Amino acid sequence: MTLLRVRDLSVTFKTGEGTVNAVNGVDLAVDAGQSVAVVGESGSGKSQIMFAIMGLLARNGRAAGSVVFDGTELLGLDESALNRIRSSQIAMIFQDPMSALNPYMRISHQMTEVLTLHKGMSRRESLAEAIRLLDAMEVPAASTRIGMYPHEFSGGMLQRVLIAMALLCRPRLLIADEPTTALDATVRGQIMRLLADVRSTFGTAVILVTHDVGVVAGNCDEMVVLYGGRVMESGPVARLFAAPLHPYTRGLLDAVPRLDRDEERLRAIPGDPLSMNLLPAGCPFAARCPRVEERCHSERPAGSLPAPDRLVACHRPLEGAP
Amino acid sequence: MSAPLLSVRDLSVSFRVRPRGSPPWVRTQALQAVRGVSFDLAPAETLGIVGESGSGKSTLARALIGTVRVSRGQALWRGEDLLALDPKQRRRLRRDIQMIFQNPLGALDPRMTAGEIVAEPLITHETRLPRHDVKSRVAAMLERVGLLPEHIDRYPHEFSGGQCQRIGIARALVVQPKLVICDEPVSALDVSVQAQIVNLLQDLQRDLGLSLIFISHDLSVVKHIADRIMVIYLGRVMEHGAAHDIVRVPRHPYTRALIASAPVPDPAIERGRRTTVLEGELPSPLAPPSGCVFRSRCPIARHVCADEIPAMREYDNDHLAACPYETD
Repeated sequence: MTLLRVRDLSVTFKTGEGTVNAVNGVDLAVDAGQSVAVVGESGSGKSQIMFAIMGLLARNGRAAGSVVFDGTELLGLDESALNRIRSSQIAMIFQDPMSALNPYMRISHQMTEVLTLHKGMSRRESLAEAIRLLDAMEVPAASTRIGMYPHEFSGGMLQRVLIAMALLCRPRLLIADEPTTALDATVRGQIMRLLADVRSTFGTAVILVTHDVGVVAGNCDEMVVLYGGRVMESGPVARLFAAPLHPYTRGLLDAVPRLDRDEERLRAIPGDPLSMNLLPAGCPFAARCPRVEERCHSERPAGSLPAPDRLVACHRPLEGAP
Repeated sequence: MSAPLLSVRDLSVSFRVRPRGSPPWVRTQALQAVRGVSFDLAPAETLGIVGESGSGKSTLARALIGTVRVSRGQALWRGEDLLALDPKQRRRLRRDIQMIFQNPLGALDPRMTAGEIVAEPLITHETRLPRHDVKSRVAAMLERVGLLPEHIDRYPHEFSGGQCQRIGIARALVVQPKLVICDEPVSALDVSVQAQIVNLLQDLQRDLGLSLIFISHDLSVVKHIADRIMVIYLGRVMEHGAAHDIVRVPRHPYTRALIASAPVPDPAIERGRRTTVLEGELPSPLAPPSGCVFRSRCPIARHVCADEIPAMREYDNDHLAACPYETD
C-alpha cells in the first residue's frame, strides 16, 4: 500500500538575486513499513523535498506539484489540518539533535507536550509514556534523565531522545534527515540499528535522507538518487548498487573510499556540484558526466523505465540488467 | 627508515576546564586531551591519525604547530626541540610546518581574493621576494592545485567548498613547507569532491616529497592516503602501524570496532556482515576510566584492565597495540 506519493514536486525560493529552483519535478513513493533512501550531495534538494512534505519550507519557499499522504493532499493544506498530520502521522528527525530541541526546556516538558496536545493525555500518563519510549530507545536511566536539559546529553543520546519523541504518537512515516552525519562512527552504527528496530517493532515507514551511500546499503529497501533537484535514478537498493544505470550513480558509488578494497587512487567525479541559481537547460549532471554527448547539454532526458520498478533519467544510460 | 623529520616523545596536553553546563564559580578541573603520544615521521611519509570526536586528534595537531601549550614531552624537528624554541626561532620553523583546516570557507578571509590569500604567507616568510615573483609563484601554485588563472581575483564566497579547500592547500604549500598537517581536510566536502581533494593531496605529496599528517575520523579515507596509521581514543594511542596492517590485521579491539562500524557500500556484503556495534559512548574526558581508557566499551575487557595502563605490545613490521589480551 502506498503511504506517501510525491508527484512532480517543485520547490522554488524567491531571493534577492532571483528565483532559485531547488527541487524540479521530483516523484517519490513510500509504501507502508518500507525504508526509502533519498541520496544526494549538498544542493541536490534532498532536504527541501522533506521540508515541502512537512510544510516546513522557509517563508520565501513555494512548493508545487502534489504530496499525497494516505489519501490526503498535503500541499496547500491549512496549518491546523497539517498539524494534525504532522507528528501524529508523519514525524521528522534532524541532523543536529542539539539544535532540534529547546535548550531552556527539560526533556520531559518537550516530550510530553506533544502527547497532551495531540492525544489529550494527562501530564502523568504522558510522562509515563515518554519514559517508556526513552527506555525502548535504550536511553539509560530514562526516568531520571528525562528531567534533564538537552546540554546534559551527548549527541548520540540526544538523537535517541529525538527518535523517541518522534515515535510518541506512533507515526506511520518517519523522515530522518541525515540522522547520523553529526555522530561518531561507533555511535552511528547504534542509531542505524535503532532505526531498523523502530521499523520492525512499530511498522513505521522510514525515509532516510543521506549523502552516505554506505549507510544506505545495509539499511534501505528502495533508493532515489538526486542531482540538481532532479531524480537521476531510482529503484530497489540491491539492484541499483549491483547495476547502476545512471553515470552519476556509478560515479557516486565509485567515489566512496572503501576499507575492503585496495585502490591506488580514489575515483573522483571531476568538477563541482551544481549551483542552484544556474541550472542548465539540459541534464543537470552533463557538465561532470563521463558519457556526455551533444544533446545532454540542450535537451533534458525524460525518465525512462527500464524495468517496472526502476527509473533512470539519462540519454545514454549504462548497460546492465535493470 | 631515514632520520625522522619529526620525532614526538611522550607528548601530553592538558587543559583547565569547567564541567559542561556548570556555573562559572565551579572550580576548574584538568582535562587530559592528549596523553603520552609518541611517533616518528620520516621525510615524504604520510601519517594518518584516526579518532572520534574528543579523542584529542586536533589538540595534537595544535600542539605541534604551537597554538596550544604542551604540558609534558618532546617534539623534535630534525633534532631541534620545537617546544623549547623562543617565538622568534619558532617563526623560522613555522614556514616548514603548514596546516590545512576542516572548514574550507571558514579558514579563508572573506575580504581577500584567492590571490591575496595565497600570497600572504609568501610575503610574510620571504620578505625580500620581488613583487612579480610573488605573483608568478602564486599563479603557479593556484594552477598546481587545479584552479584557473581567472580565479585569482575572486573572493572566497564565489568558490565551491572543494575549490576553497584547493585555495587552502595552495596557501599552505606556497612557502614550500616540509610538513603539512591536514586536520579533517575533506570531512566537510561531498563524496565526489572529497575524492578529488584526497587525490590532489596524494599527488602533491609525491611530487613535492612532502610529509603529511592527515587527521580524520574516517578510517576509510585515512587508509587511502596514509603510509602509517595511529588510532587514538580519549587522548591515548590505541594502535600504531603500517596502514595496510592496521586495516587488514588490526590488533586492538577499538580498531576492530572502528573497522566494523565503517559501512561498506555494497548491499550484498553489508547485509551478510556480522555487525559488532560498539556499545555505549565515549566517556567524559574529565573522568576517563582508570587503567585502559577503552575498557568501559571493550568487548573483551577483564577486571585487570581497570588496574593498570596497558603497555604497548609489539607485533611484526613496527606494529604496536595497547592491548595485551587481543588474539586473532
